[in-house]
Amino acid sequence: MSSANASSAKIFKPRFNPAKPAFGVLVFLLYLFLLAPLLIVFVVSFASNQYLSFPPEGLTLKWYEMLPQESTFMEGMKVSLIVAVIVTLIVLVLGVPAALALDRFEFRAKAAVQSFFLSPLLIPSIVLALGMVLLFGPLELNNTYAGIIIGHVAITIPFVIRTTLMSLATTDTSCEAAARILGADSWTVFRRVTLPIIQPGVIAGGVIAFIVSFDEAVISLFVAESGLPTLPVQVLRYVENSADAAVAALSVILILISLAVVVVVERVMGLRKALR
Amino acid sequence: MTEPKLSIVDLTKRYAADLDPAVDRLNMEVEEGHLVALLGPSGCGKTTTLRMVAGLMDPTAGSIVVDGKEITHTPVNKRGMGMVFQSYALFPHMNVEQNVAFGLEMRQVTKAEQKARVAAALDMVQLGHLGKRQTKELSGGQQQRIALARALVVEPTLLLLDEPLSNLDAKLRETMRTEIRAIQQRTRATTLFVTHDQDEALDMADRIAVMNGGLIEQFGSPTEVYERPRTHFVANFIGQANFLAARVGAETGRANLAGESHYKVEVDGLGQFGAIGSTGLSGSSHELVIRPHRLNVSLHPGAAQAPLAGTIERVSYTGDALAVAVRIGDQQLHAQMLTSSGDLPRIGDAAYLSWAADDAYLLPAAAQPVRLAA
Ligand SMILES: Nc1ncnc2c1ncn2[C@@H]1O[C@H](COP(=O)(O)OP(=O)(O)OP(=O)(O)O)[C@@H](O)[C@H]1O
Ligand SMILES: [Mg+2]
Repeated sequence: MSSANASSAKIFKPRFNPAKPAFGVLVFLLYLFLLAPLLIVFVVSFASNQYLSFPPEGLTLKWYEMLPQESTFMEGMKVSLIVAVIVTLIVLVLGVPAALALDRFEFRAKAAVQSFFLSPLLIPSIVLALGMVLLFGPLELNNTYAGIIIGHVAITIPFVIRTTLMSLATTDTSCEAAARILGADSWTVFRRVTLPIIQPGVIAGGVIAFIVSFDEAVISLFVAESGLPTLPVQVLRYVENSADAAVAALSVILILISLAVVVVVERVMGLRKALR
Repeated sequence: MTEPKLSIVDLTKRYAADLDPAVDRLNMEVEEGHLVALLGPSGCGKTTTLRMVAGLMDPTAGSIVVDGKEITHTPVNKRGMGMVFQSYALFPHMNVEQNVAFGLEMRQVTKAEQKARVAAALDMVQLGHLGKRQTKELSGGQQQRIALARALVVEPTLLLLDEPLSNLDAKLRETMRTEIRAIQQRTRATTLFVTHDQDEALDMADRIAVMNGGLIEQFGSPTEVYERPRTHFVANFIGQANFLAARVGAETGRANLAGESHYKVEVDGLGQFGAIGSTGLSGSSHELVIRPHRLNVSLHPGAAQAPLAGTIERVSYTGDALAVAVRIGDQQLHAQMLTSSGDLPRIGDAAYLSWAADDAYLLPAAAQPVRLAA
């Protein structure tokens, strides 16, 4: 058996394919194009230049040392983290059941509901932001956590619904039927069968929601610029007033935080799978 | 007679008001310990019926009674059924043992008892050594057995199987059907088995419900539905059949203890023959059903009494058997002969057909427009 495989492998050895290295070069250039801004920010954050500029004149860590003393950054970081955590929780609690309903039930106006939930992806966020300021004014929600959070929930919920719907599309509904027949009530079916099966989509949606909220500038700027500035808002303000490379150092930290979230989630998920 | 394990009364399902019902006033009684096959062509309502019994779907009308108790509106998780799906529906995030234990967990069985019963169930399907495997790492046949173990471990009131063998290759299908039948007989689980494969139904079932267009056309043992089909549809769907339009003449005597009679019948263009059927058919038109392998074919005249002479129009050789189509007048009859090492018959050769009166069965239903052959 194995010898037959080996000999057939010899016979059908793939010939050199000139398209392959060409494709490799193309992919490399594409990545370079996408990552170039990140690389420049990374380099600049270690540059001793007095003002934000390229190329670096010397190397230094002083921008990083500045960050903890910059209280506006620390304040903004706190606001952004609180917002992002609460937004992620709310969006999961609302988005997952919404996706389930959209996937599993037939109802009138289903298409309308679906496009309503996905529409924030299509509307420019500046339009959304303007609408929210006008709406939040009389409700006294401007410059409150509630205001920012509502705004961020609106723009992140499509991601959670999307990713959850994708997981649901590939699951076998007979699994849920099987669990019910075996005696599980609706809640048990959801907790023990549906949720574990769609978990990858739910987690991906949660991670995206967290990162989008943490990064969001436009809505935060409109809704809470004066009273409750988030980190991206503070960065904008800082760049307006000073032109040193502290923002570059901050950007590097932010990239690392985003990466850390992704890596930790991947690790936890991966670990859990290994333990099963 | 003892009380049936399951009775279905006038069960009806309409998916939408403007559609024909998928299941139309269906009635059926299933005896304790029996395996009943729901057999019929695609779209005849088999799955719909099974899902209503399981409680996965609400009937539009009618009732379902198990052990004398009406369960038509009992929630699915309170019915205590066991079901095996066509896709097996094993929980992908649990290993084999966890899958099988799920129903016991829901019944709050103690951990120790769960362990013992899961082990016994896995042994029953001969997969005791695979308890820790992930379900993805199992072959189709193994997944099938795990699904069966998971359904049976809870000692279900009814075992429901929806085309459980259709995803397996032909060889494995035969092995599994013997095995499922053996396990079913050992556990005496009253079973509903959905299939569109007549061989499966004939081989496994105690009773077959032949369904067509949301109705049961006939409910009976495998030999009954094969030998004594009530309708053209049943005769045509189960096995192969030749249909001849016949005018039924005089009763010539009692045929057997089952109250059937022998008749003289007249078939246009072929002549007069003997046939068997239920009493009281004299004087009307009925269809005569003759199974191809009950037709005697001879390549020489004189082997049988008063044979019908015809010509061979088609020959199909399958190794051990030879199917031939013989043209007699404006009728084409399908017949089977055993092959021998001698010359095979060829198209255009003369052939002589005959049959015993007991093998020509008159359908009790009045004749439908004539269709010549299966
Ligand atoms: N959800 C549904 N909505 C509307 N019609 C349906 C639905 N499910 C089934 N039907 C229709 O009901 C009829 C019976 O379907 P059912 O699934 O019971 O057939 P079946 O006998 O199991 O067929 P198969 O052998 O193909 O599985 C079919 O005509 C089918 O088109
Ligand atoms: Mg079906």
